Amino acid sequence: MKQKKNKTTFGTLALAMFWLVVLSGVVLAIPFDIKDPYLSISSIMVLNPWASIIRNFHYWSSQFFLLLSLIHLYDHFHRRGKIALKPGLAFRLSFSLLIIFLAMITGFLLKGDADSLQARQILQTLAERIPLIGKSLAYSILGDADSYQLIYVHHIATFTVFIAIAMVEHSRKYWPPATDFVLSTFGTLLISYFLSAPLHDNLNPAVKGPWYFVGFQEILHWLQHPAWSLLLFLGILILVYLVNTTKDKTMFRSKRTLLIFTIAYSVLTLTGLFFRGENWKWAMPWNEEYKYSVLHNFRTPGIDFTPDFTLEVGIAAPVVRGRKESCLACHNETHGFTDSHAAQAIGCISCHLGNPFATDKKQSHQNMILIPGNLSTAPQTCGTTQCHPEIVERVPTGLMSTLSGMISVDRFVFNEQDNPDSLTNVHQLGDSPADEHLRNLCVRCHLGNPKTELGPINEFSRGGGCLACHLNYSPEAEKALAGNTGEMINTHPQISLKVSNNHCFGCHSRSGRISTNYEGWHETTLLAGEMPDSSNYRLIENERVFVKQPADVHHELGMECIDCHHSYELMGDGTHYSHQENQQDVQCSDCHIEGEPRTIAAENLDNESAIIAALRFGNISGKEFLVTEKHKRALINTYFENDSIWFLTKNTGKKMAMKAPAAVCSRNEAHSGLACSSCHTAWAPTCIGCHNEYDANERGYNMIKNHEQTGSWVEYIGEYKAKLPTLGNRKNEGKTEIIPVLPGMIMTTDLKSFTNDNQDGTIFHRLYAPAAPHTTSSKGRSCVSCHNNPLALGYGEGKLEYLIENGKGKWEFQALYAADKNDGLPADAWIDFLQTREGKVSTRSDVFPLNVDQQQRTLTVGACLTCHDEKSDVMQKNLNHFDDLLKKRSAKCILPEWK
Amino acid sequence: MKGRRTFLKIAITGAVAFFVFVWNKLTLQHLRTSSGKQHTFPFNKNKTVAFNGGFIVVTKPEIRVFSAHCTHLGCKIDKMQGDRLVCPCHGSEYDLEGKVLKGPAYRDLTEMKASISEDATTLTIEG
Repeated sequence: MKQKKNKTTFGTLALAMFWLVVLSGVVLAIPFDIKDPYLSISSIMVLNPWASIIRNFHYWSSQFFLLLSLIHLYDHFHRRGKIALKPGLAFRLSFSLLIIFLAMITGFLLKGDADSLQARQILQTLAERIPLIGKSLAYSILGDADSYQLIYVHHIATFTVFIAIAMVEHSRKYWPPATDFVLSTFGTLLISYFLSAPLHDNLNPAVKGPWYFVGFQEILHWLQHPAWSLLLFLGILILVYLVNTTKDKTMFRSKRTLLIFTIAYSVLTLTGLFFRGENWKWAMPWNEEYKYSVLHNFRTPGIDFTPDFTLEVGIAAPVVRGRKESCLACHNETHGFTDSHAAQAIGCISCHLGNPFATDKKQSHQNMILIPGNLSTAPQTCGTTQCHPEIVERVPTGLMSTLSGMISVDRFVFNEQDNPDSLTNVHQLGDSPADEHLRNLCVRCHLGNPKTELGPINEFSRGGGCLACHLNYSPEAEKALAGNTGEMINTHPQISLKVSNNHCFGCHSRSGRISTNYEGWHETTLLAGEMPDSSNYRLIENERVFVKQPADVHHELGMECIDCHHSYELMGDGTHYSHQENQQDVQCSDCHIEGEPRTIAAENLDNESAIIAALRFGNISGKEFLVTEKHKRALINTYFENDSIWFLTKNTGKKMAMKAPAAVCSRNEAHSGLACSSCHTAWAPTCIGCHNEYDANERGYNMIKNHEQTGSWVEYIGEYKAKLPTLGNRKNEGKTEIIPVLPGMIMTTDLKSFTNDNQDGTIFHRLYAPAAPHTTSSKGRSCVSCHNNPLALGYGEGKLEYLIENGKGKWEFQALYAADKNDGLPADAWIDFLQTREGKVSTRSDVFPLNVDQQQRTLTVGACLTCHDEKSDVMQKNLNHFDDLLKKRSAKCILPEWK
Repeated sequence: MKGRRTFLKIAITGAVAFFVFVWNKLTLQHLRTSSGKQHTFPFNKNKTVAFNGGFIVVTKPEIRVFSAHCTHLGCKIDKMQGDRLVCPCHGSEYDLEGKVLKGPAYRDLTEMKASISEDATTLTIEG
């Protein structure tokens, strides 16, 4: 009899666990603060390992109590034969099952973290939907939304007392056997040492209920009317009651139903725990974000009684966003941040993740992101809900991330696409010759290319996500990094709005080379060893030799890239664009205004522009900012005041008065169809005679995977020259504009070298590309530089002469370069002399050479310019009434005749 | 004996019912006395969507204030994905007019009564 009394059963173990829960709960009440549960628990975890182990003990003993109670219940059911409890006791026992879950869930709510807050909302909504008493019930259990008082009272008293009474009543025992108590204590203690009770970092967007309700969360996800799910609880309680009170078939069917439910619920629980992530979307282990959105829930530190910091330092560490972060106890001297990104304001985990509640280095740094801001992890760092989610969502849509134009044009040139304007993405490259060409030679610069090494952004940098533009190392930070031998670095680089030209330089000194053009450097074909020892030459990336050319006038005035280009251009505006000129918003005429400016008052600015403006320039109230014509975006470093337009450089605050365009630019006669850059481009880098072929033995590079490989496309360049650009037509929306163009793709591609297919030959293209050379001069190009210049008209370099013979005038052109064997045109030409071309003529669908009429009209003026100086009165008058003047010309004036 | 038992059962049921009645009345009365709160927040008309505690303030195309609680189970919506308000608990989605775009929720977000101060710097939400 005595032996039977002390026999260990699941019931006695559950009883032991119950007492452990009560004991640990009483002790845990000392450091726990219902006024700020989340802060008090995070403080416990960071500062008080003894309290922490008691919290873990309370958590684990309660989980085991639940499990053992359920197993105890099953154990009873498992026995054949009836249980046949009295109805009253059976009712109270069934009801106590509900109370156990309520005690558990109120404990879960008392964490006060993101999971708990949402669970509380669900519990409240479900309770409120119970007919008649719902509102009262919900309030009686949960109380005021911003108070934990009632939840705490029910957790420690109401539910606990009820469970105690139910246990004692049905088991007739107050105390578990001593062995069970000792075993339970030490077993739970051991687990509590190694695994802490969970606490959400309030950063991860995935929220889940406690493990025993995750299956229920899955069920709720499928229900439009979730209140019906409450019947499920009622059904289970009735089934438990029936098993305990009935016999034969009813009992058997009730047992069977409960068993089926248990199996089904287990499957749903596993589904919810392991296959649901952010927003309860499916998450599979092979998905990139699985680790972050699912496994995150299972990461929990062990107890460390000798933390890597002293208690005093830990106490002094600031509270960040309602929590204590252990990171700041060790990194307490880290400095160098801007105010908005100071560790005291946003903590460390907002950017670097890791475990903020662990107290030793190894556990704290687990799953840390050393270099945040890369686009693959930006949603977890810069883009979390409390920081910049809308920007991080936009950035991948921008051209600097997609490289859509670059990819589309390349495929077009390889004859893989009918047009150069299809929307594409660098993450969708296939195995075609063009895509391999892109991988080998072109696509390293997309923003998604991850930054993998510490250090400042420099001319070697490519990509880097948010850091590509916003990372700045102070000299102190750079020195600290350079001299580091593995110990903790206290000087942190800055994340700031100070985006300098150097940030853009690495990528934009290539291809169109606008960064180098802007600063007045033109790339040569010289090797590093051949570079003359002169300040007129500059070596970039240790191998590229540049020679001095006139810099852009805006550069001379101290303006940087971001002074013109605003946040919606650089970080995308959410729209996928085909080409840079579509995404690019700012035009010369937005700032250099004749007449009434377009403005927007400070109080009407969009939020992003208002924040940036305020951060850069302080109080902006009352200011009227200019607005772009194209995308209607505010230019926050301009303002209209006292009938003048003022401009401020963003990084240095240098103030300048904005000039209106010269009269010659703004009249509506000749030249009204010209883009400003057609005249004001001082020079542009050109390249002709390129050839591409694939070499299977060449040491190459995969720019997507960032590794070397054998076999690569190789580009053989012809020559680089700094020249005045050619003029072309951009035709869209019924409007034709004359724009500068360059020989973008006059090249041959040996397709067969890649495909090894004899049917593939050599592709030849003569495509010009629209250009934005960023070599603006305040003075426009001369009249003759267009009207008497074969290069400007598209014929290429050569001798263009106006001849008058026998009273008849005619233009003659002799090309500098020999005719290309592929199409008979000179190597640098876009069109033949006084001819035009159609079809595949440029790297855009809307850009064409000058037509014959345009060439003839241009050359007619050119004929005049052979005798009359461009500054002469007659030529100046020509600008307004050319056709009238032609009619009044003297007999000496011989106009060209066209055949 | 049987009569006494029946009497006791009825008396206990009556006592419990009385207690439930008083509890229900008490709680509802308390809820009434503590309801009708006003919530005042700084207002930024340039922010298209602002999450202010339990409310979502949308300024375009017009200023409207919605309860941030998802109509499915009351979870607090605190983020947007693209141009959609997304519930973190079960993924219900709403447009900026509070209309349900994707379930499990099927009812639109509850619109709140709100007023903006004369200088357009604060927003007062009823209830």
